[in-house]
Amino acid sequence: MLEEIREKLKSQFELESESYDTNMLLVKCDRNQLRDLMKFLKENGFNYPHTVSVVDYTPKGEGFQANYVLENLNSKKFVMVRVSIPEEDLTVPTVSDIFPPLQPHEREAWEMFGVEFIGNPRLEVMLLPEWAEGWFPLRKSYDFKKHRKPSKEKK
Amino acid sequence: MGNSISLAGYTFVVEETKEISGEDLGLLQEKLLQLNWGVQHPASGPMRLKVWVDGDEVVKVDPDIGYVLRLLEKLVEYRTWQNAIVNVERACFIDNFGTMTGYSIAAEKIADVELPKKADYVRTILCEGGRIVSHLIGLGSFVGVMGVHTPMQWALIAREKFLDAFEVYSGQRIATASIVPGGVRFEPTGKFIEKMVSAVDFLEKEFIPRYAEVFIDNPTLKIRSQGIGVVPKEKAIELGLAGPALRASGVASDVRKDYPYAAYGELDFKVVTKEEGDAYARYLVIWEELIESAKIIRQAIEGLPEGEWRTKFPIKVPAGEAYVNVEWARGCFGFHLVSDGGTGPYRLKMRAPSFANLWAMPEMMKNVKLADVPVIFASLYMCHGDIDR
Repeated sequence: MLEEIREKLKSQFELESESYDTNMLLVKCDRNQLRDLMKFLKENGFNYPHTVSVVDYTPKGEGFQANYVLENLNSKKFVMVRVSIPEEDLTVPTVSDIFPPLQPHEREAWEMFGVEFIGNPRLEVMLLPEWAEGWFPLRKSYDFKKHRKPSKEKK
Repeated sequence: MGNSISLAGYTFVVEETKEISGEDLGLLQEKLLQLNWGVQHPASGPMRLKVWVDGDEVVKVDPDIGYVLRLLEKLVEYRTWQNAIVNVERACFIDNFGTMTGYSIAAEKIADVELPKKADYVRTILCEGGRIVSHLIGLGSFVGVMGVHTPMQWALIAREKFLDAFEVYSGQRIATASIVPGGVRFEPTGKFIEKMVSAVDFLEKEFIPRYAEVFIDNPTLKIRSQGIGVVPKEKAIELGLAGPALRASGVASDVRKDYPYAAYGELDFKVVTKEEGDAYARYLVIWEELIESAKIIRQAIEGLPEGEWRTKFPIKVPAGEAYVNVEWARGCFGFHLVSDGGTGPYRLKMRAPSFANLWAMPEMMKNVKLADVPVIFASLYMCHGDIDR
């Protein structure tokens, strides 16, 4: 099953893929290709999206990384689609119209990391309080101490 | 585009042709009324549901979450590989073993550590114990939202027996911090096994027959929950439902069977599925999984091998990453763990099943009666700690 997808990815998108785990395939793609690739994967049975996991590699000088995890519920296989996002231009086209369940996941990634998912209908704060919008607390550059409220004794 | 609400101007579009707008959301509009459920109310836990109703018909539901945000994913980055379990288990402490197991398996995959067989079996026993504890509360609160609080009390009696077993094992009843990368933290003593067996005995001989007699196949319960919040199979996948809610729609997705971890590959159990996809089917899935879990614990205790229960886990883990799913009580819990070669996780992303179910809920609650909102809410079997993390 995964071999088949691998062949197709190579012939249709000219994308190399590697195996991530025994049941998971890792595909690295460009931002411009993302939506086409996701549509292709959905047509090929990977119709159950798990999450969008953003990793902050800025201390290592590699920008951000967005990982989309999709599952095929029939053949019980996974595909992970990986997109690199440079630090200067934190934008990714949304896939929330292709996979509606990913909409809140993109929203969470936006409020935690500041990655803008262009076309997502609802980029508002969800988990954070309204006054903390724009703090992006899961970024590596976020300083806990700076935002800590002074305790009552120390006032 | 039928019903959309732009928060900026508080404009309600009820039908394509008719538009009503107002300054204050709390006021009765010409036709539409916004109700606030919460922050404490719906079933349990701190969460606010904004419910727009037209008469007693629900037009739109919008969950407002974040009241128990602890930013666990960030806190984990400040911990060592072993210490991180205290943050991971607090995703939802009702079934804390599942999350710890998933995190530990991910860490072991990166570090390439082989587990002793006994650790796998003890993990299985604990995970199923956690599942039973969680499912008991799920059953109790499902009937509880309809106004009958007896089953919750019965469930808590059965739950106590399992908490006693966890206490003997780890010294803690709820947040046990007992599963670490490299095995389990404590030796499964004879006393723990004895307590576990007596808890399962109580569950199978006392709780299950008594509960089944009254609250399963109960005509009043059926009137309230059958045909409510129906999600067909294709729709369930499209909405991204997880766990018991997905299985109640006929999708046989269970990580324990699909990608066996711990000792599940060697044990005999069946995946519970229902075809109806309504609130009652979701309730029955939880119920039947409870019975299955008791069987799994018995098998695991019988097959418990001799040997070590913990192996050495390195302080520094080589750079790498892993994505691991475990079948947690409330569904498939995903862990994307990244290591940069340091003494602790570089990044941990937790994919929570309740989060997926929560955002599928507004779609399911369109055009239902107001009285069905708590029924659908409780049947989705969500945990607030897990939604916010």
